[in-house]
Amino acid sequence: MARRIIQIDLNRVEGDLEFQLELEGREVVDARCIGSLYRGFEQILIGRKPKDALVITPRICGICGTAHLYSAVLALEQIGRIAVPPNASRIRNLCLMAETVQSDLRQSFLFFTADFCHPKYAGRPLYEKTLGAFLPFKGWAHRGTLEHSRHVPGIVAIFGGQWPHSSYMVPGGVTAPPTSRRILDSLSIINNLTRWFEQAVIGTDLGPWLELESADQLFAWLEAADTHANSAIGLMTRMSRDIGLHRSGFGTSHMLSCGAYCDSAGGQMFKSGFLDGDTGKIEPFDQAEIAEHVRYSWFEPYEGGRHPFRGETIPDFQPHSNRYSWSKAPRYRNEVVQTGPLAELLIDGDPLIGSLYRAEGGNTWLRQFARLRRTALLLQKMREILHELAAHLDDPHFTSPAADEIPDGEGFGLITAARGALGHWVQVTDGAISRYQVITPTAWNASPKDSEGRHGHWESSLIGLTVDDPDDPVEIGHIIRSHDPCLVCTVHLLDTGKRMTVWP
Amino acid sequence: MSILCADSPSLEELLDQYGIDILWQPSLSSEPKGKLDALIEAILRDEQRLDILCIEGSIMTGPNGSGLYDPYRGRSKMSLVRELAEKCRYLVAMGTCAAFGGVHAAPPNPTDCTGIQFDKKLPGGLLPAEWRSRAGAPVINVSGCPAHPNAMTKTLAMLASGLPLELDHLNRPKDFFNSLVHQGCTRNEYHEYDVEDSAFGEKGCLFFNLGCQGPTTHAICNTELWNGRSSKTRAGVPCFGCTSPDFPLDQDLFRTEKIGAVPINLPLGVERANYMAYKSLAHEAAPERVLNKEMDP
Repeated sequence: MARRIIQIDLNRVEGDLEFQLELEGREVVDARCIGSLYRGFEQILIGRKPKDALVITPRICGICGTAHLYSAVLALEQIGRIAVPPNASRIRNLCLMAETVQSDLRQSFLFFTADFCHPKYAGRPLYEKTLGAFLPFKGWAHRGTLEHSRHVPGIVAIFGGQWPHSSYMVPGGVTAPPTSRRILDSLSIINNLTRWFEQAVIGTDLGPWLELESADQLFAWLEAADTHANSAIGLMTRMSRDIGLHRSGFGTSHMLSCGAYCDSAGGQMFKSGFLDGDTGKIEPFDQAEIAEHVRYSWFEPYEGGRHPFRGETIPDFQPHSNRYSWSKAPRYRNEVVQTGPLAELLIDGDPLIGSLYRAEGGNTWLRQFARLRRTALLLQKMREILHELAAHLDDPHFTSPAADEIPDGEGFGLITAARGALGHWVQVTDGAISRYQVITPTAWNASPKDSEGRHGHWESSLIGLTVDDPDDPVEIGHIIRSHDPCLVCTVHLLDTGKRMTVWP
Repeated sequence: MSILCADSPSLEELLDQYGIDILWQPSLSSEPKGKLDALIEAILRDEQRLDILCIEGSIMTGPNGSGLYDPYRGRSKMSLVRELAEKCRYLVAMGTCAAFGGVHAAPPNPTDCTGIQFDKKLPGGLLPAEWRSRAGAPVINVSGCPAHPNAMTKTLAMLASGLPLELDHLNRPKDFFNSLVHQGCTRNEYHEYDVEDSAFGEKGCLFFNLGCQGPTTHAICNTELWNGRSSKTRAGVPCFGCTSPDFPLDQDLFRTEKIGAVPINLPLGVERANYMAYKSLAHEAAPERVLNKEMDP
């Protein structure tokens, strides 16, 4: 059978990605996920004052800067043994939730559902409704998302001055107190967003929808009213299942969540854990089990994997070798893992997501559905946090650390960004940053092969896939976009030089 | 992502009301296959008109001058930008990275980054200082990290509707870069009477101790609020000077360097001796409500 290699360039907010796929006929038999952009953030931080990380690292990403800020400040606070008052954690959590909701809505209805408007689906029964909802700049869900995702980062601006890229989380707390005006302004944003979410996205009230707790209940709900079936999530679900997205994109069965949102008892509002896909058991998460491999990456080579505290990021660009990516290959307990809202909600124990996962596995549709489920959960949590702040208006938002500067030492900050597990590992020597290692969610999902030659999660989720039209593999766009990469795919054939674009 | 937050005008308004047709935007475009490559080829063959070319991100010239730290289809984006630049009526650098190099060009500049027509403060980046677009304009720098959403959409609306667009010495549109971040900051009364904070989380001015560059940075942060709500300095975060060519400064970003009790970098254009005299008198004149920090910023 004829083998050929196709190349897909992915452009997204956090960087650029490219896939090289080997096809036999219509089946993907090998995949290489190529992180094609090198930026050198970790090198830029070395030698700088520790707090400068609060300014530099949010700028790693245009869509999840709050998450980087939160990771960075936790790492510095761990080094300095600095405690923060509960109101500071509440404000940090509220802002990270607002950023996540913003990202999830944009990913769902600006990036993921646009694929359903591909002319390939013109004969499908839902196609006209799909166009009406999801056609870029014209569909009602696309327009509504542009409008409403614009306002929710206003909550970050209310407490932190601006979104994106502020530095309002500082060791010891946050820079601005909760005031009645800030709380009411934020509630107003949540009220408006919730109303739109209920009317357009789920077609029903938030409370009862969050009470759905099994696959059977969800599918019965979907049939129960036209407003449910024709809501944005209804159309996304029905179209996804009509084209078989509940049977694709599984990848590795191991899932990782660092947990999210520090609570005042020293724990987290969403639990961390490692879901062992072989046993189905959820085990405690321990960051010491993380190691990064560079066997197939363009960095100075070392044997096996290294924990981020011993990690190095020394570029060694070798385009004509069998190394192929600027991404490292992180592994947990020496396993390939995936991360993101599906992992987060499964590990936290959301009953509906658990039921759907047990019924059909961790597929493309469920990954996307879990993201919107999370939006609904966060809308509720944000409201709760604002009520807590209102009840503690006079409590401190900042406690001055005993020392002005961060002392020498090492620390890490782990949280859940919109796309999944995010970690910063920092070492301070002689008052300056001596090592800074970041592992982003996309580094887990998009990792290249490791020193044992095992494919990363995205790579393995594509291998074995059959594409209808190898010259226009829209199936790949669905799978990769369900992980929230904010990308546009373009494809060209290496063997003929003929170029084409996957309809993004 | 910043531009999606623009509300005056919004991105949708640019399409609906200003006749702007987005040929390609990597995060939003959803066109039939082959569109981007066909577009680029058509533009390079002068078959497709390119009115405004917007570039985000610094131009990576490494490793070894190849530009391959940032490739597109095996070639460098650096060379693609150079070719497209010859075809556009206007070239707009969106953000400090594209304008001046930005964070990526901070020491040790690991990827050999530059801005499009500036390398930090120095004229001439990827394109020489004398370069002009087809409409006769230099690269228009809408700097900021990120660029202010409404500064981006207003600049595009001005170009699309033919409103005059005057540029400053760094080729930034004067409408957005002729006032300082300090102007409109709600901590100004504290600054006026020399009530300066030395710890985070308080209400006073951040200029003397906490690294705030508001009095030396041109931007609209306090005259056109972020997300329609606030600004960093209002929320107690120092201005880091992110619209300036030397952002990020190669020094502690949360500490003001001083000579004696007074910052080394004074508000733009101010004489040191006069400023010292003014500040010592100012503190004497401070009313109780300012000294006691009774006002919320």
